[in-house]
Amino acid sequence: MRDAATDPSALERLRVQRGRLADRLRPRWWYLAGIAFLWALVFAAPFGSRYLPRGVSPFPLILAIALPVACLLYWGQARATGIKMGFRNLSYRPGRPAGIAMLVVSIAANGTETSLIRRDLLAAAIVVAVLAVAAEVAAQQALLRAIRQDLRAGGGTA
Amino acid sequence: MTAKARPDPLIHPITRLSICGLLAAGADWVEFAALRDAAGISDSVLSKQSRVLEDAGYVEVRKGAIGRRPRTWFRLTAEGRQAVQGHLAWLAQLEEAFSASTRDARQARPLPGDRDQPRRVLPPLLGST
Repeated sequence: MRDAATDPSALERLRVQRGRLADRLRPRWWYLAGIAFLWALVFAAPFGSRYLPRGVSPFPLILAIALPVACLLYWGQARATGIKMGFRNLSYRPGRPAGIAMLVVSIAANGTETSLIRRDLLAAAIVVAVLAVAAEVAAQQALLRAIRQDLRAGGGTA
Repeated sequence: MTAKARPDPLIHPITRLSICGLLAAGADWVEFAALRDAAGISDSVLSKQSRVLEDAGYVEVRKGAIGRRPRTWFRLTAEGRQAVQGHLAWLAQLEEAFSASTRDARQARPLPGDRDQPRRVLPPLLGST
């Protein structure tokens, strides 16, 4: 069997192979659509709080829908790509900018929506929600791009 | 990198180096077909080499099925990760040393046809062929 010392291009070959693996992680349309749906649920919460009867919280309903959808997306993505990335929080350095962007957008958009709904500016609130969903999907794509870049670079082993 | 640069005879064959290097790239679990396609090896080679790595405790294997189709997932164990990091660090040092020696040789005696890439030959390792 050949070994890395008799084949000095071993590291270069490994870089190419990592690139191939990383390329598999490109999101499919249904994944992005699912992510958009999940964020739409999140940004629908202020509307629910305003228009549902008093004492009825929208959060259990949103959680009941979002959790199975999120699990299905994770499972589908793993099945389609053949790669399970696990849960990445803000301690994952390459994905930190995208993660922080997601957090900031969700807090800002929820606050703005709540404030607009209180002033009965429903159309403006819907526009903010739509823009926020678009921004979150873009941030999710940026996160996947960062993960792909990290895979290409070999994570902590390069 | 925190791992000590150290060659590992088990990972040294190029197929196993590919498998381990891909599993160490940052993914949690990698499926059989994804690993096979990325490494550019056949099913039988991957099966055989992954079994060797599994027996050595470097790779964890999880088998499942979706419908009738079997699915096998791989991931590196902590021990395997440490060994891969050490081995890759050692290979990087070797590559660096080779580049430096080529550079020095070129500076000392530039040859007429020096624009061509020199043939890269590294010292044999661990008695492997």
